[in-house]
Amino acid sequence: MADITWPWQYNFPPFFTIQQHSETRAKQLEAWQQLISEYLKATKQSTIDIRETQNSVLFNNAEINRKLSQEAILTILEDMAKTGRAAPMDKSRNVWEVYWHSLDEWGNLVYNWACNNGMNNSVCTLFELREGENTVDQEFHGLDMSVLLKALKNLELKGKCELMEFDDSQGVKFF
Amino acid sequence: MRRRAGVGAIQKQRLEQEKYREKGSEIQENQFQQMSKQLDVFRENLEEFATKHKSEIKKNAQFRRQFQEMCAAIGVDPLASGKGFWSVLGIGDFYYELGVQIVEVCLATNYKNGGLITLEELRMRLIAARGRGKVHQEITNEDLLVAVKKLRIFGNGFTVVPIGKGKWLVQSVPGELNLDQTLVLQKASALGTAWVSLSILTDDLGWNETRAQNALNHMVKEGLAWVDSQDSKETLYWFPSMFSECVAA
Repeated sequence: MADITWPWQYNFPPFFTIQQHSETRAKQLEAWQQLISEYLKATKQSTIDIRETQNSVLFNNAEINRKLSQEAILTILEDMAKTGRAAPMDKSRNVWEVYWHSLDEWGNLVYNWACNNGMNNSVCTLFELREGENTVDQEFHGLDMSVLLKALKNLELKGKCELMEFDDSQGVKFF
Repeated sequence: MRRRAGVGAIQKQRLEQEKYREKGSEIQENQFQQMSKQLDVFRENLEEFATKHKSEIKKNAQFRRQFQEMCAAIGVDPLASGKGFWSVLGIGDFYYELGVQIVEVCLATNYKNGGLITLEELRMRLIAARGRGKVHQEITNEDLLVAVKKLRIFGNGFTVVPIGKGKWLVQSVPGELNLDQTLVLQKASALGTAWVSLSILTDDLGWNETRAQNALNHMVKEGLAWVDSQDSKETLYWFPSMFSECVAA
């Protein structure tokens, strides 16, 4: 179980029923999005598979016997997608990537780290970024591979780095 | 032959009348003078009392209430006049200040309670907000009620809804709650559950289903209640303003 402080809403039974009244619903969705981001951040996860959510503590509060249905989760994720905080990974919209930092922010985090550590104009592997000793205290340490890749591609478009393929791993060169 | 009244008698009569009139107005003037002297004394004393106990009135909640009661007994509203000697008191200022802070708290918590807040929560938050630095001022529920009532001049944006047993809710969204909706809130407060349902309203209040459903729908529409459809028996309607974890958050 993740070590996060649950917001009061988590123990509020109707929080697990999508509200029909637009204003109330907006408040509810916002609270859910914050909770989801925080939970994934605390557990170092980036993806949600809607089919596997029904037993997750995040969406199932056994103490008050309430859980968020799959349709409800889809509603929330679709809402997050509108603001770029999530994106579907498959056509059936079952697997979702959730960005507790936007891709831009992730890119900047990595780039700043590279600048601060004199990595400009040198190459490091993605493995180093994700699992290397130098990045242990960084937020992107252990970040989901595909999210990291997207963030770097984003950075590449801005001309701040260049992705390259080695034999069986990928690397990146910062400018 | 009877002598007719002479000129002398008429003049005498007129003289008498004049004297009476003079005496009359003299007495009147006397009374008036005395009266205004008394009023002056009263005013002076009240002013003296007010200035002497100004800080006491501001600080001591019970004293303030008694002073309010005294003023009410002699038909004076210290809040009504911003000018004149009442302004010495700063009583009005105290409540205006409180009023502004009440508005602030209501707006700040609106996002979670939909504009309905219990008087206790309001008081708790106000004390927390005012506590910083200043000399501690005790604020009672009565003070809050007086201040909220003053806010009514801004229209029906701020109203106090009694929910029984010395408990109140302060509503900070426009639109009045009708009697049925107030009864629903009273029921939820009396049950202490923060929720009600159709069956509770029909069973306990003896309403028919249409009446109960109308009242509930309206409260959902106003953003005051949340719908919970996962209870095994029926739909529950929750009021975040009464939900203890929401109040504490």
